[in-house]
Amino acid sequence: MIIAERKPMKELLEMVSDVKRLLIVGCRGCVAVCSAGGDKEVSILSAALRLGVKRAGGEIDIHEDTLVRQCDPEYIEPLNDKGAKYDAVLSMACGVGVNFVADRCPDVNVLPALNTTFYGANLSSGEWKEMCAGCGACVLHLTGGLCPVARCAKSLSNGPCGGSQGGRCEINPDVDCIWQQIYDKLSSMNRKEELRQIMPIRDWTTAGHGGPRRRIREDLLP
Amino acid sequence: MMSGSNLENVLRSGTFAVTGELGPPKSGDMEVVRKKARILKGHVDAVNITDCQTAIVRMSSLTAGLIALSEGVEPVMQMTCRDRNRIGMQADILGASALGIKNLLCLTGDHQKFGNHPQAKGVFDMDSIQLLQMVKGMRDEKRFQCGEEIKKAEPRLFLGCAANPFADPFEFRPVRLAKKVEAGADFVQTQIIYNVEKFKKFMEIARDLGIHEKCFILAGVTPPKSLGMARYMKKFVPGLDVTDDVIQRLQDAKDQKEEGIDICVDIIKQVQDIPGVSGVHVMAIEWEEAVPEIVKRAGLSQRPEPKGIEPVLSSSGAIDEAVEKARREARLELEGELKKVKAEADASRDLLAKEKEKVASEISGLKKQVEEAKSMVSRKEAEIQKLTEELQKAKEAVSGTAAPAPVASKEAVAGVQEATVTVSSGALSAREQQVLSSLNKGLVALKEVLGLNDAQFEAMRRFLEAEFMLQLGTAVRETAQVTEAPQVQAEAPPAAVTPAPAAEPVEEERPAEEEKPQRPKEVVNLVAQGNVALHAKDFKKAVELFKKALEISPEDEKAKEGLEEARKALLEEKEAADKAVKIKEVEGLPPCPDEIDPDEWKRKWVVRFTARGNVALMKGDFETAKKEFQKALDLDPDYEKAKDGLARAEKGEDIFIPDVKPGEVEAAAPAPEEKKIEKEAAEAKEEKPAKEEAVQEKPAPPEEAKEEAVKEAPKPKAKVEISAPAGEGVGELEVAPLPKDEPPLEERAKGIPEEVYKEPCTGVIQSVTIGDGDKAITVGGETALPFHAFEGEIPNLPRTAFEVLDSPPEEWPEVLLKYYSDVVNDSAAWARKCVNEFGAQAICLSLDSTDPNGANVSSADAAQVAKKVIEAVDVPIILWGCGNAEKDTETLREITGLVENRNVCIGPLTDANYRTLGATAMAFQYPVVASTPIDVNLAKQLNILLENLGVHLDHILMDPSIGAVGYGLEYTYSVMERIRLAALTQQDEKLSPPIICNLGREVWKAKETRLPTDAELGDQEKRGVLMEAITASTLLLAGGELTVMRHPKAINLTNVLVEGML
Repeated sequence: MIIAERKPMKELLEMVSDVKRLLIVGCRGCVAVCSAGGDKEVSILSAALRLGVKRAGGEIDIHEDTLVRQCDPEYIEPLNDKGAKYDAVLSMACGVGVNFVADRCPDVNVLPALNTTFYGANLSSGEWKEMCAGCGACVLHLTGGLCPVARCAKSLSNGPCGGSQGGRCEINPDVDCIWQQIYDKLSSMNRKEELRQIMPIRDWTTAGHGGPRRRIREDLLP
Repeated sequence: MMSGSNLENVLRSGTFAVTGELGPPKSGDMEVVRKKARILKGHVDAVNITDCQTAIVRMSSLTAGLIALSEGVEPVMQMTCRDRNRIGMQADILGASALGIKNLLCLTGDHQKFGNHPQAKGVFDMDSIQLLQMVKGMRDEKRFQCGEEIKKAEPRLFLGCAANPFADPFEFRPVRLAKKVEAGADFVQTQIIYNVEKFKKFMEIARDLGIHEKCFILAGVTPPKSLGMARYMKKFVPGLDVTDDVIQRLQDAKDQKEEGIDICVDIIKQVQDIPGVSGVHVMAIEWEEAVPEIVKRAGLSQRPEPKGIEPVLSSSGAIDEAVEKARREARLELEGELKKVKAEADASRDLLAKEKEKVASEISGLKKQVEEAKSMVSRKEAEIQKLTEELQKAKEAVSGTAAPAPVASKEAVAGVQEATVTVSSGALSAREQQVLSSLNKGLVALKEVLGLNDAQFEAMRRFLEAEFMLQLGTAVRETAQVTEAPQVQAEAPPAAVTPAPAAEPVEEERPAEEEKPQRPKEVVNLVAQGNVALHAKDFKKAVELFKKALEISPEDEKAKEGLEEARKALLEEKEAADKAVKIKEVEGLPPCPDEIDPDEWKRKWVVRFTARGNVALMKGDFETAKKEFQKALDLDPDYEKAKDGLARAEKGEDIFIPDVKPGEVEAAAPAPEEKKIEKEAAEAKEEKPAKEEAVQEKPAPPEEAKEEAVKEAPKPKAKVEISAPAGEGVGELEVAPLPKDEPPLEERAKGIPEEVYKEPCTGVIQSVTIGDGDKAITVGGETALPFHAFEGEIPNLPRTAFEVLDSPPEEWPEVLLKYYSDVVNDSAAWARKCVNEFGAQAICLSLDSTDPNGANVSSADAAQVAKKVIEAVDVPIILWGCGNAEKDTETLREITGLVENRNVCIGPLTDANYRTLGATAMAFQYPVVASTPIDVNLAKQLNILLENLGVHLDHILMDPSIGAVGYGLEYTYSVMERIRLAALTQQDEKLSPPIICNLGREVWKAKETRLPTDAELGDQEKRGVLMEAITASTLLLAGGELTVMRHPKAINLTNVLVEGML
């Protein structure tokens, strides 16, 4: 799932400093699940902004709305008319939602309420961790299902660097060394010999370095 | 051989190799590198040049490596994957190879987090193993990473890698080394070894994997410089295993440095014995001096003769030479540049000089022209003199010869009429004719010289002709003079207007000369000069000159005139100067504060004196009033209000409030010392019903009486003619005046010094007059806070306008509507009713129906309604638009077009339409309502904008936006209060216009005025009336001067309050 977190209030208040009428639009997709941009967060943000603006001596008229998803045209279509009546629409979706609104609703001045952080999993209540980098060239079958691209500080391909100590990454003792884990995992599966293979230099075009990515499935095209 | 490097040679020869390490500086200082290289030179086979180790920016590895090479030390260039992608790295590799680098150590690199730029984007396009693969491919397969062929000079590099035997997972470390070797590593340098036992185990596995046979393994060692350093490495450097034994040895050592070197030597000796170790890599971090000693003590000081060290930049001398050469070139280039610039500068200087010359010659040319013009003038003078003399002679000749002949005189008259000097030849002698013709020629010449136009010439000729004829005989004298006189008058103005100052003296002289040819030349000249001086505004000189002229010829009219004129001018000049000085310190005024313009200050005081005068007038204190008005007039003799006031004061008229009829005053308040006429009237009425009757018989009685008249509404039509008997004087609209049993303030405050309770203000509120004639009302003008009459003057009471709508109201509650139900369909009748029955002093016509979001009545139709209303009543009218800026502009302009001769007040002007409406208002001198959202600064801003446009502040009423009680009244209150305080206490003139409060509409849209009567909320009408009256009185306390209200009872309540308090 896409993990996001709300931008700091200061940044948001600056963002809406010239806005008199604001519509906050949440998303019931990933960001609702990671408690960043669902109905509840929309209400909280709306109240916080009202207070913040008032405290700064301003005035703002805030309305709230939450869409099923902001990454599907059918859900955001009505937003073009509705959003145009506001000085700005503050989207609480991930970056995808903000972009999609910007693309599809030309009359709407859309602003991001969240920082879209990573693709991750919910470790426990209130804790999320990056698990995938969306690099477009998955090697998980070679690494015991653990991603060195997303989870190694240097995205190494051929085993742990010299900074791996006690299963921890050198950059931060709170960070696991994923190569240690890969090694352990493959060892337990009696597959550690596979790690002798040199993983060749990667092709990063699929990771976005070849320009914005796009996927087409002919069979599904209208 | 892979590269032919010295390191490769040493290792392949089987000699135990020694490599050192050189950290480039965090600067561009080449000397640092050189110095370190010289220390290491001869003691090691090659030196690693680090690539921004621990991610701290330093001189690049390639550059520092080249400097080391130039010192005769073989560099091992390090390359990390952190900072460059495959494009940059391959490019550097090509360059390094070209410049003689032969060893390359391939590393992944420390994470940027550890360095001095932790925010940097880590590249990590590949890892160290992939880098080895790539460089090997470039070297052995002559292919770039992409597969493209390197056609010439592939990089020949001896490839190294790093290995950390002490990192986890331990068993994988040799495997990983094997991968590196497989990828292309020719040699490996390990992490710093202190734990030799662990390294031995590592080597065991490595040997099992056969790594030592495929690549040279150099054991990494570092002399601990101090105990602190050892502890630091143990604790903080990841993947470094500093044993307790090492710590202990340092702890026990007398000389830690010495001990550090010993520890290092011991470790070297131990690793030398480990099979598969081909050399050591001595990393004396920032302690290069230790290396020779370590090498010596380890018995490794006999280094093989270096081979293959061929710096492309051969030595420091070469570098110096190159630098010198570059410097020379740069200097030459600079010199060339300098010469060019100099030449350019010289050229431009020459050009400048030429320009100067040119300008100088032009100036001298101009001077010459001026000189010429001057000499021309004197020449002309001389010519004129000559001509005059000639004329004199001619005259003499004529008078000497011809006998007076009536024919000739007739001819002369005829000649005058025909505008030619054609004196009949038959009547004149030959000599006379000769004289005449020469005279004619002289005249033509004179015309040319003087540049006269035909008309001027013609006129002049006629004078001369007439003069000539005069001289011919006294018989025609009078006729000629008659002819002359008007012509002189006709001629004089154009002559004076003729431009060309140089010619002026001539022109001035000419009429004099013509009129009185017998005037002495000196006088003529003096007068001419005097006139010139007069023109040049040098009045003193002019006076002198004219005086001189008069000394010579006391009767000279021209000189007299000139003298008179000059004296007058001189006097005026003096007066003006005196006045300018006086303004600063007009008598009786406090000194003008620096920030205020003296004129402005004066004006303020004019207004203030007038206000004081008005107050005195109202009190009946005519003497004071006169004095005050006189003071105002002394300052500004043209101030109409003061003039008016003075006239009244002199007449003994104490009527200042225009809507109170003299009759009423006489009836109700005959004593001039009464403070308030209206109040007095009310009191009088209460006490003496008989008098009240008298009051009611007046055509426009005071409000109390009117209210009584209307008390029986809603059947008011019958009562329009105001004839209600006194007995019925108790009705629901009537409001009893406030009791006045309090002794006056002066009495109550007796014994307390004034300054304790008085805080006089320094500013003054503008007086704005709306309406025409004796019905006009003036609001503002006070110099005290609302109702603080004891602190200053409040010349005008707050006023109320009745609101009239241009269409039947849709949402008025019945309790309000019932008073107007018979007139709601006719705005004019409605207004009339307000005036005649409720005693309205002003009407505010709300043009609600024009609202584009409502009925959207056209501007033309609305204008017709407005016109009718304006014509129906003679009280002041306020025209209040619907609030839509565009539509209001249209509507109000339409209306002003129809009623331009009535002094209506228009509004609301907002920042959106103040330009257009302000211009209209200015054109017709209408007062305007400047409307802004509740905010002091916005209100001020709009006033400034209007003033910039040309609308005077005394034509502005501020509408700061109103909230009813319970609906934001407190906001309005505080904003109004601040506006008023700024105007009065800080002299903020831009906030000094009076405030208009359109509050009826706000109150009567409140829910509380619409809920029906019930037990809990009480009577609906009473509730509404009180809400409106409380809102109004609150706003008046905050500084409102003019309210717009709806319910007659609420208005009466408010007025009674006002009257009771002032």
